[in-house]
Amino acid sequence: MLKHPMLKYINEEGPSGKRFPHLLCPGCGAGQVLNYTLHAVDDLINQTGAKKEAFVFISGVGCSSRLTSHYLNFDSAWTLHGRALPIATGVLLANPELKIIVFTGDGDAAAIGGNHFIHAFRRNINVTVICVNNGLYGMTGGQVAPTTPPFTSTPTTPYGNIEDAFDLCKLAEVAGASYISRWTTAHPIQTTKAIKKGITNKGASFIEILSQCPVHEHQTPVEMTKALKEITVSIKKSMDSNKIPVGELHFAPRPTWTERYESVIEKANEMIS
Amino acid sequence: MVETALKEKKCRGEFIKPGRHYLEGSEACVEGALLAGMKVYAGYPITPASEIMEHASRRLPQVGGRFIQMEDEISAVCALIGASWAGAKAMTATSSPGFSLMQEAISFSIMTETPLVIVDVQRPGPGQGYITTSQEDVMQARYGHHGEGPIIALAPSSVQDMFELTIEAFNLSEKWRTPVLIMADETVAHMREQLIVPELDTIEILGRRKPQDLNISPEAYLPYGHDIVPPMANFGEGYNINHVSLAHHADGSVGNYSLEVHRENIERLHQKIEGNVNEIARVESQFLDDCDHVLICYGSVARTGLEAVREVREVHGIKIGFIRLVTLWPFPEEKLRNLISMVKTIFVPEMNLGMIKHPITGALRDKCDQVIPMPEIGVLHHPDKLVNQILEVTTC
Amino acid sequence: MKTNERFEIRVAGFGGQGVVTIGRILGEAFTIYEGVNSVNTRSYGPESRGGACRSEVVVSRGEIHYPSVRKADVLVALSQAALDMYIPDLKEDGILLIDPNSVKDVPKKHLCYGVPAMGIAHSVGDVKYQNSVVLGALAALLKSMLKKESLKSAVSENVPPKTVQKNLKAFEAGWAHIMNVKMVVAE
Repeated sequence: MLKHPMLKYINEEGPSGKRFPHLLCPGCGAGQVLNYTLHAVDDLINQTGAKKEAFVFISGVGCSSRLTSHYLNFDSAWTLHGRALPIATGVLLANPELKIIVFTGDGDAAAIGGNHFIHAFRRNINVTVICVNNGLYGMTGGQVAPTTPPFTSTPTTPYGNIEDAFDLCKLAEVAGASYISRWTTAHPIQTTKAIKKGITNKGASFIEILSQCPVHEHQTPVEMTKALKEITVSIKKSMDSNKIPVGELHFAPRPTWTERYESVIEKANEMIS
Repeated sequence: MVETALKEKKCRGEFIKPGRHYLEGSEACVEGALLAGMKVYAGYPITPASEIMEHASRRLPQVGGRFIQMEDEISAVCALIGASWAGAKAMTATSSPGFSLMQEAISFSIMTETPLVIVDVQRPGPGQGYITTSQEDVMQARYGHHGEGPIIALAPSSVQDMFELTIEAFNLSEKWRTPVLIMADETVAHMREQLIVPELDTIEILGRRKPQDLNISPEAYLPYGHDIVPPMANFGEGYNINHVSLAHHADGSVGNYSLEVHRENIERLHQKIEGNVNEIARVESQFLDDCDHVLICYGSVARTGLEAVREVREVHGIKIGFIRLVTLWPFPEEKLRNLISMVKTIFVPEMNLGMIKHPITGALRDKCDQVIPMPEIGVLHHPDKLVNQILEVTTC
Repeated sequence: MKTNERFEIRVAGFGGQGVVTIGRILGEAFTIYEGVNSVNTRSYGPESRGGACRSEVVVSRGEIHYPSVRKADVLVALSQAALDMYIPDLKEDGILLIDPNSVKDVPKKHLCYGVPAMGIAHSVGDVKYQNSVVLGALAALLKSMLKKESLKSAVSENVPPKTVQKNLKAFEAGWAHIMNVKMVVAE
């Protein structure tokens, strides 16, 4: 029987029993994001000689953050809601050579994690942030999120959402991320490429992946995948469109935080006679 | 990893030299941390703890470490967690309001068994309170983090302690794979006095035990297994370690939940620290031979406590003994019980309305006629006040 | 000074008069250059902005327990507010050192010396050297227990290198003032 090629990076079993398949809902987009990410990592290991042990996956709390709970045959950590980025910052202070991939969701990144979102990008720490954006809080029942469109009815906006939604990519750009890309789970090849570029970019990379949550949206995965294609448009053609632009939205590399800290170490030691 | 910065950049900074120094408590704390091997400091400014952070920002790059001022206290302690996972010894310092913010991350560190050191330079509360001295967080130290999870907390009384107990805190955190708190206060952080640094090779520095040390291969490695203190692999060593704070099995997996596994998880964490209290916790005492009363204190209050005890003994002839808790948590109940036979009064001066008096009373109520708390808020007890209170009780 | 005896010095004045610096340098002189134990504490908070900012040094050959002044052996009062607040804690046979330009109202019962620190500092070159003037005066008053050289070394180590010469000049001026002028006679 054919085995999925990315299963080589998955702990299907462990000493305390089966771990795979993952616990996410049927049709959830996070599983696809995991697939695309592992393809990107696999390509980099095979094509550029990146070492497998250099990769570290860190997540916060939420559906997409469950991807690190015990599935990955990599160094990983399933951490605090909204705090994957400051944890990643600390990892890099200790070992700047590690390649950190952060799985986060829209609530994890932009609500409770909002403060850390803007500072990690301002500092341009060398991290790849993969944000699975389903426009709601999936794990806890579908409540409204900072990315939920206005007027939407959710368990905590039963009369309709009166707030506007963040554009996470714009937020990341203003904060200072050096590579920003937006795709959807309906764009496997492009998303994988974007993740590869994000990891390769020395600096803070933000990859937003619009994703379906069939359970809370009460639609089928197929309907939602079609919709993801319909509501988005390539950045090149987005000028005259109201649709959500997808593609590479920003790329302006600059020195990372740890690269700049080298000058601090130099100065601190120059002053010692 | 971290060491490459030191080699490549030719860091010329040195550790503090053996001999006699004159330092502020904050400085002594940082120098102790550097000697203990601290390589990462992440902090956030707060009165009266900012001096510790400022010293760290100057000294760390000199010895090849890295310093960062984060965007808040929550991210500061989170950065320590990440640094520790990548193999670095990491510390931060804050004051009481910041300490409150750190509690979720402390709970997480206990469950993930992450070594790190947090200094709380206590100030009065609640809320903004004030910026002078206090011991109002000593219960928060043990019970502020949610969930059942033990912790180690030390109470420095001098500049020498700020140096020595910081080294001890790092050693304890590495040995027991746990966060360790240094419950300082504004008095001891800002006082300036002599520090005697011994020959550096006489100072014991411990590091975490790793699976490589026990010949455990990556395939056989259980991140929360093998021993009551699980050996800890660092990121980047190919051990595919998975840190998780949901109730977990020894292999780190969170599936197949059962009450048995959950309870085992918590029981082992509890046993690891509380079960080893006699090895971990330290207590100092004087004048206990046939004393009629005893004064038990900790932190800066020990300075006034000892002054008052000596005066009451030497000038007034009252046989009162003195005990200083160096370790607040795990609470050294057995050690205290072994130190005291029957006494009439146990005096407990604290810079709060009475916190450690509760476990003291719990441990020693049957060994005395009464426990007298001696509260003070916002200032170090004056010896006259303690002496008068002791005389009032002991000479009636 | 016997082993466990404490010698207690309190320096008080307006925030900005260098009270904290004076206390710190004094402590260093005792601890490092004389090799005795000392503890230096200071007031903290808004009270350090008003007229009663204080810095204290407790000295002993033995262990020092209570780190602050109980009854001062020496009170340096650089403002009237400081004198009013802290004179009750000065021992009967304690020494009072004041700046007579800012402290006018002096109780008669203590031995009182005056050093016009700001004026002397100004003549050396700048008002900012007033700390060293006060330290020089203190050196003269404490010469039986603290060598002049110890305090001079502590001053040199704790001022910006370019100002060492001027600070030592101010120090000597403070020293000379006390050695020559002696007590302020309260009328």
